Amino acid sequence: MQEFFQQVVSGIAIGGIFASLALALVLIYNAMGLVNFAQGEMAMFATFVAYALINRGMSYWIAFPITLVLAFGGGILIQRLVIKPVERAPVLTLVIITLGLATLVNGFAGFIFGYVPRSFPSPFSADSADLFGVFISYRDMGVIAVSGLVLLGVYLLLQRTTVGLTMRAAAHHPEASRLLGVQVSWMLALGWGLASAVGAVSGIMVAPILLLEPNMMQSIIIYAFAAAVLGGIESPLGAVIGGLIVGVTVNLAGAYLPGVGGDLQLAVGLAIIIAVLIARPNGLFGRAAIRRV
Amino acid sequence: MPNLLELKEVHAGYGPRSVLHGVSLSVPEGGIVSLLGANGAGKTTTLRAITAGVRWSGDIIFGGRSLRRLATEEIVRAGIAHVPEGRGICTELTVDENLKLGSHLRRDGAEVRKDYDRVFEYFPVLKERRKLSASTLSGGEQQMLALARALLMKPKLMLLDEPSLGLAPLVVRAIFQIVKSINQASRVAVLLVEQNARIALELSSSAYVLEVGRVAVSGASADLKDNESVRRSYLGY
Repeated sequence: MQEFFQQVVSGIAIGGIFASLALALVLIYNAMGLVNFAQGEMAMFATFVAYALINRGMSYWIAFPITLVLAFGGGILIQRLVIKPVERAPVLTLVIITLGLATLVNGFAGFIFGYVPRSFPSPFSADSADLFGVFISYRDMGVIAVSGLVLLGVYLLLQRTTVGLTMRAAAHHPEASRLLGVQVSWMLALGWGLASAVGAVSGIMVAPILLLEPNMMQSIIIYAFAAAVLGGIESPLGAVIGGLIVGVTVNLAGAYLPGVGGDLQLAVGLAIIIAVLIARPNGLFGRAAIRRV
Repeated sequence: MPNLLELKEVHAGYGPRSVLHGVSLSVPEGGIVSLLGANGAGKTTTLRAITAGVRWSGDIIFGGRSLRRLATEEIVRAGIAHVPEGRGICTELTVDENLKLGSHLRRDGAEVRKDYDRVFEYFPVLKERRKLSASTLSGGEQQMLALARALLMKPKLMLLDEPSLGLAPLVVRAIFQIVKSINQASRVAVLLVEQNARIALELSSSAYVLEVGRVAVSGASADLKDNESVRRSYLGY
């Protein structure tokens, strides 16, 4: 039983990481009706930036917020330079562009930083604490705390501030928002910035577990897709809960299902995507898309 | 009275399809002007031209300044509240959030609070439903929300696109009464697009009748109302 609870807590920790990246996907999906396939690569690149800062002797807890600010600016820059000129293009064009962006960022990271996996520091000790007989590593607790704070911050920003309100309005009702004086195009750029920063958190949190290299996020983005789809792709809360469910499921499957182990965990993530799309295409929190015909 | 808004020979259309063929009209400061005409005459397009929702040529002057090349957001910030066809309610948001979007650009906090009190005096039902999703409101309530939100923008000019559409006659009466109160209390000018010519002419001081993208008749509302032939040929009552 102890072992089981330990696996659940580890699952929640990794689930928090999935949740952050899934939330980034949802933010952009809401703003443009588009899945940003470059989200994982953008997060990976931000993690390399954090790595470079820490390597130059900056303390972890200073490099972390600086990286988030840079990721935020980078997200805005990408929206302005790459996405805005093709804003009105068909969705398929935009999808291809984000795929191209993913390849570009990946290659660029390889060009600058190389493909040798590097170990990335974790600010949390690898020891475990004994909580009522269950051993929980400080690392897991730290990851849960950081992801939790970031998700809470995004929630408060979107739900409790005027900027958040105008961002939501611009995403769902661009025409009506313009008539209320909302600068819709800049709100979309802010959405990209926010998504990029939230995604960067997932990269920085997962790097100590996976080792940092340009392809680091390629499995994580699959889990994030699974989380976002499970949550209903439009729902920020759904993305978070989806992330936790996927994290725990994948972790338990790896520990207990014979033959899954570490290698087939990704297949579990894909199985979740397929199962959700067949059984409940709108996810747990999504609404049925109603279209006039 | 000086003109707050003036359209000079405005041509507009969607892509190759031209809808307005040189519309000229003016709205005096603090006045109510009706824009009447049959379906497809170009009433909605005229409003959309004013807030840059459609490409246009000619000139549109608001408060002495040309609106040429301004984006929708800038025009709105200059003091025009446009309640569009279909009301433009953000149904993903709550009633309160919709109202907040109306006042979000204002920095005069004390005045904003007073305006909220006024809005809830006009539309008590909105106060009751503040926390609810705007999608739960009835058509009439949504129209009230759209008007309330426009009022909270503290505009110099309101553009109202068919506020009576789809509403019961009693509700229409109530809403027009409130438009009149808003106009008198805060000197907001109103350009009112309506199918329902009878009620629009009662409210406005002057009116323009559009026919296939041109102004066919214009004049004081009272004169148009009393003119048999205008009523029969253009207003259909």
